[in-house]
Amino acid sequence: MTDPVHIVVAAGILILAAAVFLLPRHGVLARMKRVHKDARRVMIEDALKHLHDCDYNKIACTVPSIAGALMISLDDAAALTSRLSAMGLLVPTDTGVKLTPEGNSYALRVVRVHRLWEKYLADETSLPQTEWHSSAEDREHRISPAEAEALAAQLGNPLFDPHGDPIPTAAGEIPPKKGAPLSSVAPGEWAVITHIEDEPKALFAQLSAEGLYVGMRIKMIEHTNLRIRFAADGEEIVLAPVIANNLSVELLPHAETVPASPMATLASVTVGEAVTVVGISKALRGQQRRRLLDLGVVPGTLVRAEMRSVSGDPTAYTIRGALVALRNEHAQMIFIERGERVSA
Amino acid sequence: MDNKDSILSTAHALRYEIGEDIHDTLVGAIYHDAELIASRVTSRPDGKKASTFGATLDRFLTNRWFGFPLMFLLLAVVFWLTVEGANVPSGMIASVLVDMVHPWLRDTLTSLNSPWWLTGVLADGVYLAMAWVISVMLPPMAIFFPLFTLAEDFGYLPRVAFNMDSLFRKAGAHGKQALSLTMGFGCNAAGVVATRIIDSPRERLIAIITNNFSLCNGRWPTQILIASIFFGALVPAHLAGIITAGAVVIVALLGIAFTLIVSWGLSHTILKGQASAFSLELPPYRPPRLLQTLYTSLIDRTIIVLWRAIVFAAPAGAVIWLVSNIHVGGVTIAELFIDWSDPFAFVLGLNGVILLAYIIAIPANEIVIPTVLMLTVLSAKLTGVGSGAGVMFELDEANAVADVLRVGGWTVLTGVNVMLFSLLHNPCSTTIYTIYKETKSVKWTIVATVLPIVMGLVICFAVAQAYRLVVG
Repeated sequence: MTDPVHIVVAAGILILAAAVFLLPRHGVLARMKRVHKDARRVMIEDALKHLHDCDYNKIACTVPSIAGALMISLDDAAALTSRLSAMGLLVPTDTGVKLTPEGNSYALRVVRVHRLWEKYLADETSLPQTEWHSSAEDREHRISPAEAEALAAQLGNPLFDPHGDPIPTAAGEIPPKKGAPLSSVAPGEWAVITHIEDEPKALFAQLSAEGLYVGMRIKMIEHTNLRIRFAADGEEIVLAPVIANNLSVELLPHAETVPASPMATLASVTVGEAVTVVGISKALRGQQRRRLLDLGVVPGTLVRAEMRSVSGDPTAYTIRGALVALRNEHAQMIFIERGERVSA
Repeated sequence: MDNKDSILSTAHALRYEIGEDIHDTLVGAIYHDAELIASRVTSRPDGKKASTFGATLDRFLTNRWFGFPLMFLLLAVVFWLTVEGANVPSGMIASVLVDMVHPWLRDTLTSLNSPWWLTGVLADGVYLAMAWVISVMLPPMAIFFPLFTLAEDFGYLPRVAFNMDSLFRKAGAHGKQALSLTMGFGCNAAGVVATRIIDSPRERLIAIITNNFSLCNGRWPTQILIASIFFGALVPAHLAGIITAGAVVIVALLGIAFTLIVSWGLSHTILKGQASAFSLELPPYRPPRLLQTLYTSLIDRTIIVLWRAIVFAAPAGAVIWLVSNIHVGGVTIAELFIDWSDPFAFVLGLNGVILLAYIIAIPANEIVIPTVLMLTVLSAKLTGVGSGAGVMFELDEANAVADVLRVGGWTVLTGVNVMLFSLLHNPCSTTIYTIYKETKSVKWTIVATVLPIVMGLVICFAVAQAYRLVVG
């Protein structure tokens, strides 16, 4: 028993057994947890959300589209549809199915909780944005109406989720859809991104990898059947039209208010240089954004780079009389203007 | 009533119109107004002489070539002052509390007709544990903390955080963790309190959970003693000092490496969702206020930590005495546990005495070695060494300690693993309590307690098997 070879072999077996049980996705424990989740409630609520989505985007919902959205078989989708119908939540139409008023109000409640969670995850945690949606999908089914209202109050009753979707009010009101697809913008026109669709996951991951965010101002450069090319925060981005359709935009008619050249950021400032802040990127959110606002980083603030750390990052800036160090990753999201009203 | 409703619905519609930028706009407007008012009522002196000194010093301290060497030099000086300066007062306190007061207390209790067991629990258990903690803990803390506070007061420490940030950023942590980590070398409980300067929730939790990887003042003597017995003794005498110091420094650096690795792991797994923000204020330099610093660091840090340690050491002293004096079926509880846990401890490259010592000496790392010695004498039935069952003792000569340990069956592997286990085991109970006070969370307290001990067991296990496979 005390032979080290035996012990090492025993430990190997033990580790293997632990892995089989505890692996986060494929482990026995994780699988059991998934099976034990309240599968029925999840199915119903996800189906209602899908139906509401169709309704909101004015497209027809069918049994196959439900099956596709929930990733279940056609038979299961048909069974689910008839159960929802029996519950009085949906009615058949000529083209497919649609929500009854009761169904619609239930769906809006689920949508509200989902978007509240996304807002919470974006602003109050540091979860990467590709995980907001899936985490909210999981959390939305595990919260009571009272808890949802407490969450909304904690977040200051937000109006939009981080993807730019309106959050339905507790009374079930939701403003009509705004914005047009990116492909409707003509070359040379300015627009602001109002919505980034978070499904399918792979496309959203690609869009967020490009650094696109709701509230970003873009200028269309070229727009053909094969590709859409536009400038965003001084960088040129090229997307395939099928991907670009997941972006909604609103035209900016007063393009003269927007600086024509790409905006410089605080990260580009050299030591000793004084610049004026013109804004903070919308991609900088939650605690970090509030921190910067608290420090007085607002449009019009004069900032001077004083010194860099031994390793080049962070950099210390004089902001309103205080010497404050900021990391490069955040300085990159603070837009500045050079050469104006430079004083001590 | 209609009026109110219409106002509310208008307000509601307007919220959508205004959009989400309202908060930013408001803050901007407040700053604008404040600036306007301030510019009307304040005047500034023309010259800026006061800031040139600070700016020059900043350029020097954050210089690419001087920044780090200067920092390490300063750190080395602080440690040297602490270690060298603490020896004499530690010895003096020990000679008073352990050599003089302890026998007197025993005699007094005996003359008061106290039964032998009460004398044992009170004098040999409770009192001795407290005396030990005070004599080992107080002098280094009373030197280290004021020095640290002086550097903080002067404004140097924020510059250290500024320079170290890029390293900690890569580990998902905050540059200020460099400060709580350094503070942990003095005392982990104080290091945990020092994380208050980190104003981002995620990075603060990381700093709290990993602080235990800083080898604290209570563990340095253990490291030095074991290193000198098992490594210093392997080489010629004139090299022994360097080899011993080298081995201890390697363990301390290993601790820093674990801090960074575990920080990275935490920020990418269980702490991924915690909120995080970074900004680091670099306040202007100012002459340190000596007396005030001395006072606050003594009261805020030294006395509070010492008091907590004493409170926890007292019951532990009683437990240590009791397990070595209560007999069950002819043997003491201590021996029963040691015999029972020996096979398990063997697999870890340790022994039952060490495991028991780490369990009952949880209040303070300072009393681990005295407990190990006492238990070894007890379980190996040595005579002529020590002061009796349940009475902790220390030996002046490292050789004498080595003899006791060899009788207890220690090998080089035991020495290496005790050094590793001393680095990687649960925080002392004072630190655990402080973690709970700081986080107000049972969950994070448990994580901070269990994580290092699991790592310690795994690493000791791996080292033991590797050693036995290679060396035999």
